[in-house]
Amino acid sequence: MSMPIAQLQVLAPSTTADRGRWILPGMLVSAILIWLASVATFLLLPLDTFPLYFVQRYLVLDATSMLFVLVINTVFLGIGVYMLSRSRGTQELTMELRQRALWSSLFMLVMNIGILSNHLILQWALIEVTTACAVMMMLGGKNGAPKAVAWRYMLYSSMTLAISFLGFMCLSQSAHLRDMHMSFQLDQLAGALTRDKDPWQRLGLAFILFGLGGKLGLAPLYSWLPETYEAAPTSTSALLASVQFNISVVALFRVLQAFQGVEPGFVSQELMLMGYASLVIAAIQIMASRNYKRLIAYACISSSGVIALGLSVGQAAAYGVVLYIVSNAFVKSLLFITAGRMRSVYNTNDVTTLAGVIRVLPLAGMLFAGGIFALLGFPPFASFLAEMLILSGIVQAGNLLAFTLMCVMLTIIFVATGRRIFPMLWGTPVVVRAPMKESVLSIVPKLGFVGLLTMLGTYTPQAVTQLLSAVARSIGGT
Amino acid sequence: MTLTLMLCLLATLVPVFFSRVSAAPVWLSVQALALGWITLNQHHTLSLHAALAGIEVMLVRALLVPYLLRKAIAKLAQTQHVSLMPSNLFAWGIAVALIIFAFKFGDGARADVRALTLGVVASTVVMAFLVLATNPHKMAQLVALLFMENALALFESLMPEPWPLPVHVSISAVYVLTVAVGSWLVSDPDGTHSDLTPATEERA
Repeated sequence: MSMPIAQLQVLAPSTTADRGRWILPGMLVSAILIWLASVATFLLLPLDTFPLYFVQRYLVLDATSMLFVLVINTVFLGIGVYMLSRSRGTQELTMELRQRALWSSLFMLVMNIGILSNHLILQWALIEVTTACAVMMMLGGKNGAPKAVAWRYMLYSSMTLAISFLGFMCLSQSAHLRDMHMSFQLDQLAGALTRDKDPWQRLGLAFILFGLGGKLGLAPLYSWLPETYEAAPTSTSALLASVQFNISVVALFRVLQAFQGVEPGFVSQELMLMGYASLVIAAIQIMASRNYKRLIAYACISSSGVIALGLSVGQAAAYGVVLYIVSNAFVKSLLFITAGRMRSVYNTNDVTTLAGVIRVLPLAGMLFAGGIFALLGFPPFASFLAEMLILSGIVQAGNLLAFTLMCVMLTIIFVATGRRIFPMLWGTPVVVRAPMKESVLSIVPKLGFVGLLTMLGTYTPQAVTQLLSAVARSIGGT
Repeated sequence: MTLTLMLCLLATLVPVFFSRVSAAPVWLSVQALALGWITLNQHHTLSLHAALAGIEVMLVRALLVPYLLRKAIAKLAQTQHVSLMPSNLFAWGIAVALIIFAFKFGDGARADVRALTLGVVASTVVMAFLVLATNPHKMAQLVALLFMENALALFESLMPEPWPLPVHVSISAVYVLTVAVGSWLVSDPDGTHSDLTPATEERA
């Protein structure tokens, strides 16, 4: 009757493992359902019916929230498939992935609500909540002290958001001194602003842009980003770079939408300054980096720089900026999840050890190469088109110095990235390894991202173009 | 109102200048009690909304969070005696200058309650930044974050109408999450997730 203790001990872990067997497939099913719901909403609701308000006007569905809900849920679907494909490793890895899947699901739920939020303070609070979820998702990282890195990430995040909050305070004070009421409801925010030169309003705007810039990884508050992206598990890095980045972009867009026509010169100067500083820092760090995850992280900083520069130009570059942001979400996801596959084989982030990786992991290597070309702005990817549009926008705005500086920095980044990554892909291997098979499941999301990037760069469906244009118009584009 | 604001200010300044980390939960409770009182008395008539918000501030900010923080501090014997801000003249000088600046920011010339509130909020935020900048101990940094979030909650009292309940709940959730996640991260600062074997350190 009684089972021997040894037998019980053997059974116990498998029972625990069985109990959570549904978590990863469950996460994937929910990711598919949410993605289908967002695509259906996009296809069924014409753009001219926007904005739609829900839950006593706390949530809004307009072009901006529609676009970013679509993007983040597409990215999450890809990352979900990738996590499921990786769960076939050791039992401990599977257990950890399950834990991460739970946090990722919560992260995505809060993220979706945050993007739909129609209240600036509510959105601010939800970004903070996603930070707490991200901290929990970071704890499986390979870096020697993931808790220490997670703590610094949390600290930076809280600080940058606190700076933004200081900005809200200044805006409120500005409105009060003019006997106005600042409600922070997005659809009423613009009404409480003045077109006159108001130092409180200007200070508020400066704080908000500076704080949100820190969340986007713009200089000078960028140092959390490379450390965090390197230390976090790759699926978490992908979610941070492609999803959390985008909620900060949405917050920035909301502020720019409210401030349209108010203090345009000031906004432009601050964004331009942060954009250039980020490009310069990224260029220097990429030249010095020998770690491919860090390299991707610095490339993310340079992308933020390009976005800031594009936004600083305003009108002419707005469509390019929106396209660049969307394409970047897919590029970063593609690069991080491919990097995860390479790391699982080589167990290192060092580029020299991975020399000739394309011979060992032909598909992953090729897709990584595709991701790098997309990152560097090569045709036929969407980032090429977007960068061209941003550059032409800068020329149209007559800012030739900005154009020259951006071209120089992008060239340096291109050469520095190539010098590190191309030998890693096609160089002579340090240790000869046999080619490895890759599961179809792990390849599917990467191919999906490459397909989307190519589609956006060559043929964009009419409905998508209209959505991108609507978002571009909302931030002052033509 | 003015007395409560002064209490809130003292509950920020006294620990920053004179207190150790171990006493921080008490000062956080004092801050929160003042905050709760301000929330309850913000308007002439006590609405259900204000009452709920006030009770929530008392329960979460004055009881739950300081309790969680005290538990976290108790586990770290070595940080209990750390000063919240390093006790040296330079740090003190900067702190005093920042407080003066904060009250200038609060439009000190207009000596009304609003200007005083803005001054208290601003000085709490700058003190929190100063602690973050000068103290390398993670527990002290966590306390600074909590001070900062209390300042943000006090900012609500400047609004003519209280924030909607969902906004209020989200901000409180952020506060609880900060202390829960933060104290867990800080309690094992060199934690390497050491329960995992090297084979599983490779991550997806």
